[in-house]
Amino acid sequence: MRSLTLDHASFWYPATASPALRDVSLEVVQGEVVALVGALGAGASTLLLVAADLAPRVIGGRLTGTVARRDRSGIVLPTPWTQASGMAFTVWDEVAFGPANLGWPAHEIARQVDRALERLELVPLASRDPVTLSGGELQRVIIAAILAMDPGLVLFDEPAAELDAEGARTLWRLIRLLASEGKAVLLATSALDAIPDVADRVVWLEDGAVRAVGTPDLLADVAACDAGLGTSVATVWRASGLPPPYPLTVAHAVQRWR
Amino acid sequence: MTGGGRLHPFTLLAIAAALPALAWILPAPSGGLAMATIALGLAASRGLRPGLRPAVLTAAPFWLFLLLLHDVPTTIAIGLRITTMVASFVWLVATLEPARLVEAMIAAGWSASIAYLLAATLSAVPVLKARARRIVEAQRCRGLSPRGGIAARLRALRALALPLVLSALHEVDERALALETRGLVPGIRRTPLAPPPDPAVEQAARWALLLACLAALARRFIVPRFI
Repeated sequence: MRSLTLDHASFWYPATASPALRDVSLEVVQGEVVALVGALGAGASTLLLVAADLAPRVIGGRLTGTVARRDRSGIVLPTPWTQASGMAFTVWDEVAFGPANLGWPAHEIARQVDRALERLELVPLASRDPVTLSGGELQRVIIAAILAMDPGLVLFDEPAAELDAEGARTLWRLIRLLASEGKAVLLATSALDAIPDVADRVVWLEDGAVRAVGTPDLLADVAACDAGLGTSVATVWRASGLPPPYPLTVAHAVQRWR
Repeated sequence: MTGGGRLHPFTLLAIAAALPALAWILPAPSGGLAMATIALGLAASRGLRPGLRPAVLTAAPFWLFLLLLHDVPTTIAIGLRITTMVASFVWLVATLEPARLVEAMIAAGWSASIAYLLAATLSAVPVLKARARRIVEAQRCRGLSPRGGIAARLRALRALALPLVLSALHEVDERALALETRGLVPGIRRTPLAPPPDPAVEQAARWALLLACLAALARRFIVPRFI
């Protein structure tokens, strides 16, 4: 079932003449992980803001086309320190801030918060003051805070930017788990090597428009590699002067080599 | 915790509002002196750095300007009242935990948005101080020292003011966006997570403060007409 549908959506930020999103049509269904890739300024973050109903409702600007959301969305912004409530003295309270705003009963809030803390491996930090956390820890807290609100559509904007390698691996596993539970996930990331294991589909954005949509194999495409959007293996393969098709992962490369 | 930190947030607000009100209503200079003494005492109870020093440093320029504009009795009368206002606010900011205020207001049936707005206003001072410190540190890294003579300090102040104001304005946008993502939207009915206890004695004390202000007001403006 469709969770999010964009139909010929274009978006202009306030006081700008050219659109940040151009005629984008996209569907994300429940249980699916869609990765948005593109160069800086390609429109991935803007697309997430539109999908989250934050643009233009909160940030202003102009939207044309239609955006239909079946599920309540939750978005993880790329800067966790700006997404913290600033009103919590413990990690537990910080994670509970959103669910409390939804007006849920206290026992349901406690259940969702405890579950989110467990999923992000934050239980040992539950009583810590959020201002004492590292960037990576705070990133995990904010992800937990959004997941504790139990959104049907989860939007991630560079969620691994502050995480170490182990934290990122935990996150990618969690995203697959969310999809297996029926949530729709839209993910903007520059961690291209993770996408083959995480995403079902890849949307390549360029100058605010969709340039290509496909399976993660798209990241081994010659054009994508030329645009700097290939996986590390595909990029190394290409740089070595080996002929296309480029392998997507190490496993593919080993297979090709043999 | 000292200086009333565990009092109910409404009690803290009531004290911080009643002291300046009484300072202005009660006859000068004795009324102002009494209230200023209490307010400075409360500020001092939070410690020298977070309490007394900012209160005194903020009130001092007002005394200077008053002295330039008025005679000594008027300066003392108004100066004590302003000192009470400043010290009460400094004590309130140093004492009141914004999260507890939000919880108390939600439990009392206030809108979550208004509660957050009020709490964010009270926490603006420490947030701006921390931001100013970061900007000064960044500028020091690039060779601009805030130390030295008056001219150097003025240059540093000018270099601090613009980024401080602009970044504060930028953060308003960021916070609005962030709070939306956390479900803080107009019209919500937030669940109070841990409403602070509001003992009957504190409720009575708040009424007593209100009655004291009203009585002082009556004594000042109504009673003299009948004498």
